[in-house]
Formats: sequence, C-alpha cells, structure tokens
Amino acid sequence: MDRQQRHTRRRRGPHEGLDRMLGEAMRQAGIPSDRRQAFLTEAFGRLWNEIKEERMNQRIITENNIRNLGIRLPNGTVNKDYTAGFTLPNGEISAPRLDGADELGLELVYSPEDGKCQITGRPHTPGDFTLTLRYRTVEGEPESELRLPIAFNPDPRSLWRNIPTDPKVIYFKPDSATAYVKVEAGPDGTPRKDIVAASQRGRSHAQEGRPRDDHFLVEHCDRSDWYVLAVADGAGSAKFSRKGSEVACDTAVEYCLKRIDDNPPFEQAIRDYAADRANTDRRHALTQFVYDIVLRGAQAAHKAVSKLADLESDTRVKDFATTLMFAICKRFDFGWFVASFWVGDGAMCLISENGDIKLLGTPDEGEFSGQTRFLTMPEIFRDRNVYNRLKILIEPDFQKLLLMTDGVSDPMFETDRNLNDPAKWRELLDRLAHGFPADGIGGVDLDDDNEKAADQLLGWLDFWSPGNHDDRTIAILY
Amino acid sequence: MRKLPVYLLIDTSGSMQGEPIESVKVGLEAMLSSLRSDPYALETVNISIITFDRDVKQLLPLTPLDNLQMPDITTPESGPTHTGRALQMLCENVDREVNRGSAEVKGDWMPLLFLMTDGKPSDIKLYREMVPEVKKRNFGAIIACAAGMKADTEPLLQLTDRVYSLDTIDSTAFKSFFKWVSDSIGVGNRSMGATDELELPPPPAEINVLF
Repeated sequence: MDRQQRHTRRRRGPHEGLDRMLGEAMRQAGIPSDRRQAFLTEAFGRLWNEIKEERMNQRIITENNIRNLGIRLPNGTVNKDYTAGFTLPNGEISAPRLDGADELGLELVYSPEDGKCQITGRPHTPGDFTLTLRYRTVEGEPESELRLPIAFNPDPRSLWRNIPTDPKVIYFKPDSATAYVKVEAGPDGTPRKDIVAASQRGRSHAQEGRPRDDHFLVEHCDRSDWYVLAVADGAGSAKFSRKGSEVACDTAVEYCLKRIDDNPPFEQAIRDYAADRANTDRRHALTQFVYDIVLRGAQAAHKAVSKLADLESDTRVKDFATTLMFAICKRFDFGWFVASFWVGDGAMCLISENGDIKLLGTPDEGEFSGQTRFLTMPEIFRDRNVYNRLKILIEPDFQKLLLMTDGVSDPMFETDRNLNDPAKWRELLDRLAHGFPADGIGGVDLDDDNEKAADQLLGWLDFWSPGNHDDRTIAILY
Repeated sequence: MRKLPVYLLIDTSGSMQGEPIESVKVGLEAMLSSLRSDPYALETVNISIITFDRDVKQLLPLTPLDNLQMPDITTPESGPTHTGRALQMLCENVDREVNRGSAEVKGDWMPLLFLMTDGKPSDIKLYREMVPEVKKRNFGAIIACAAGMKADTEPLLQLTDRVYSLDTIDSTAFKSFFKWVSDSIGVGNRSMGATDELELPPPPAEINVLF
C-alpha cells in the first residue's frame, strides 16, 4: 500500500461509518427506506430553522442590550480635539466599526480585551451628523447597527465678522486708535518715559458693525514734563456711550493740563510733602491741590458728559454712561509723583522698580457681570467717600503705569481679587512682552522711543479669550 | 468663565399633546441651531429647560450651549398645570446655578427667563407666592408667551410686563417665537450695563404684544 492510498482510505472511512449508523437509526425508527431522503431533508430543515431562530433571538437580545447602554456622543467643536468613549459587552459582540467616522475626521479604536471603544479625531465641519455603529453578534447573523447622532459646533473664532462702523453714524469714532508719546532724553542724557496706548473695538461690536465705546487720551507737556493718561469705557448698553467716554477723557485731561502745566505752588507742595511725609500740614496742602486738580477734573468730566444729554433731544445722561480713570505724573529729583482718579471697572496699576504692584484704587464691581458704577451717576460725587477714588503716590521710580478697560482686565485677571496678585501682573507683563504665540499674536517691544510699539499694542489687543469680546483699551507709561 | 443663563419654562400639560408640543420642539431645535451660529452666544449662553404639567421636571440643568443635547419632551394625557411649582423650582435652580459676583468669582450675566404656557396655573396660590420670589432673582428680562386662545394672560402679567401671545400653536408660530427668543438672547449677551431694562428686538408678526 503506497502513501497515497493510505491517505484516501483514512479520509473516506468515517463517512462510510456515519452512513451506516444513520441507515440503522432510521430503520429502527421505522422510516421506510424510500422516505429516508425526504425525512433527512425535513429533519435538518427544522433543526436549521430552530438554530437560525435562536441565533436571531440572540442577536436581538444583544442589540437591545447595546441600545439600552444609552450611548450618547457628546458634542464636539470644529478644530478642537474630540474624544468620546463607551464600553461594549465584548463577550456578546465583535468587530465594531463606525460608519461615517472617516468623513467627519474621527476614528474608532476598539480593544477586544475589555470592550472599550474610543472615538478620537478633530472635526472639520460644523453641523448635525449621524454615525452608524456596526458590529457582529452571532456567527451567521447579519451585521447589527446603531445610529449615533453627533453634533459639531462651529469654531467660534470662525464665526466672528468684522463689519466696519458706518462713518455716518452719529458720534462716529474710528474702530481702533493708537498713540505713541515719544519723550526724548533730557539735557543730561537720561532717558525719559514714553506713553503708548491702543484701543480696539471688541469682537462683539465688530460682529454687528457697531462703534467702539472705549476711549483714551494721553498727553505729555514738553514745558513742564507732566504726563497725563486717561482711559474710559462707555457702557455697552448706553446708546451714545462712545461719545461719553470721549468727552470724559478729553475734559479730564484738558482740565488737568491747564492746571498743572504752569503751577509752581503745586509742585512746591509736592516737594514739601516728599521731603517730610509725616508732616500732616504738608499732606493737607498737597491733598488740597490734588482735590482741586484731579477730583475737580473728574467732576468737570462728569458735567461735560451730563451736558451732552441737553444737546440732543430725547437723550438722557445715562445714554452717555462711561467709566473713567486718569492719572497725572511727573518726575522730580526725589522720584515720581502720581495722582489719579478712578470710577468704574477696569484696572489702573503702578508696577514699581522691584515688581511690587500698587493698584490706584478699587474697581467698582456689581453683583452681576456688566454692572459697575459710572462717571455719569450723580451719586458718585455726592458720596462722602468720593475721596477714596483719589490716589496720591510717591515712588523713587517705577517700571510701568498701566491703565486699562475691563476688556483687557477681565480676561487677564478674571476676578477683582486677582488684581491684587503680583503674579497675575507679572503674567500680564509677560503676555505683553511675548504675545500669544499659539494664536499668532505677537508681543510688544516696550523699549524707549520705540514708536512701533503702538501698532504692536493694537495687534496684541486682538488676543483670544472665550467670552471676552468687549472693547479693549490700554495705556502704558513706561 | 462667566455665562449668560437662559431659563426656558415650558408648559407640557395634556393640552400641549400632539402638534403643539411637536411645534415647540421644532422651534427649540431651530433656536439652538441659530444660537450656535452666533459666536458670542456659543461661548456664553447656558440653557436650562424646566417643563411643567402635573409634574415639574428639570429636563435640562443649566448647560453650556456647545455641550447641549436636546432632551426628549413628553406630555401626559391630561392633568393640572403646575406653573407655580415650576417657578419654585426655577428659583431654587437659579440660586444654585447662577454665580453672583464676589471678589473671588466674576458674576454671571443676569439670567433671562422665557415662560411659555397654553393655559393657566392650576396652583394659582403658589403661583402668586412665587411671583415676588422670581422678581427677587434679578432676571435681566422675563418674557412670557401665552400660546393659543385658551392661555390666560392675567397671571403672566403679574410676573412681567413683557407678555406676548401667539394666536395659533403651530410650528411657524413657535419657530418665529423662538427665533425672536434667540435674537433676544443675543441682545442679552451684549446689553447688560447702564440701562435698567433690556432692549429687545422687535417681536415678529406672529406675536401680539400685550401692554
């Protein structure tokens, strides 16, 4: 017997045996020999149907189990990494795949060991979509499916529009503004501080082509070497607040300039006080000057804004509601003198030589966002504590004096408490210097006499911060 | 981040069954999709849905718009309309969900309330008790919608002077109502500040303004 024959016989052997056993079983059951073929067909047919039904039932049970997991895919956002996870009963199903995932930029990763499914990717198209989860249950059954709705929000950044303000609108002002006040080195060659300022219309206004409500004005008197900086934030809901903020800045600055540009008694009072700060008479004398110049400057601004309401019929003072902060500063031989006034929110702060922070007041914050106090409220000047809005400071030298509207301070500090946190101010200075590289926003080179800093600062004001799209204005003496 | 909380109180009593509630759903979906295309709303709006029939349910806790998925809204066959109880739940939720400003936390925007009903409160005593409570919650605006001819505007006028009535309860009417709601939310997003009252966009033609 050669190898081939032995192989063939072995294979055929069992079948012959099976045939014999089947024949014997049917004979014993009394099935006539001519019906045996028909019997076999029917018996197997029934058995097969039973098996199929069982399989189908098993599939339906599994499908129900999967449906009852209540899988819901969280919403995603375009251009943001998406992840979602759920667990399938790995004993009951196999080979899950996610139809439609590819087109949406998603991918399903399944680990058969524990049934964990992970959907990851980066959606590129906003809208409502349906993914189909397909999986195998019982061998021989068709693939099962579960429809999973998924929604992608648009990237909020892509939705902003920049509609220019209609130049014909009453009290029109440009959508952005910059200023650089370059003060060259004195006769002795020591560099002198400059002022840079920028104001950018907020995205929420740009979206609707509405005007910027913020304003600033910065000045330097060549003759007397006084610096004056003012920043104002017109209330978002007051229809002409853009004019209110403008008039507030202009009036306060003009009022102060007139009274400080040639005022030897005032400067003498400053020197006297700086020489002996424990002397209450000297302090009172100086305070009186500051009261007459700074507080009356604020009051003049209040009156000037209030008068606006008389010019147009059908307007009220609160249509011009605005905040206001301003500071007058001058360098003396003993150091710097700074006096300021602040009503409303935002932030005004002096960063001293060693990095200490000196807030020039406290922001007026309401219980809810957007509530604050305004220059236009008559009670501001009736309040006995109005003096608390004035600040006088004598510093050997300082790095920077910053004035900003809440469009900048809110995203940078979030809370009023953080305004007192030197680390937060360091962070702001760091942001100013280096920008937001991830968002393509450059930094500002605050070097002496760098006039380019104005445009850099304006560009910097475009930084992204979710939910913070107010007008942004910042003025820096450095 | 500070949010703009928007509370939607929706009547789901038996009379709303069928076309009316389906129309409300269509209107809500349209409103959500319109809000999602507004970048400011997308970042700030948070929505809560409270339904009221014989039961009062917080169907959706205050949820950021970008995470929001519409819950299923169901109506019972019949039964009372517990509007008062709904206002009670609203006050509890506002106290819990809305951040008041403090030195540590920046306050949320003033919340907005939209209430839609096609009937009248069955628990009128509780309703009247809750009206001043709601007013204490400093809503930026309260807007009530009386849907259909059977809606009683009198109790709504106690709650707010902004009561609008829809003559018909169909998807066109609700769509335009919710479109207007979403426009109002947009305004709410921007107008907080000096004025005491929120200036709303003009209501659509389907809405009758009651003064």
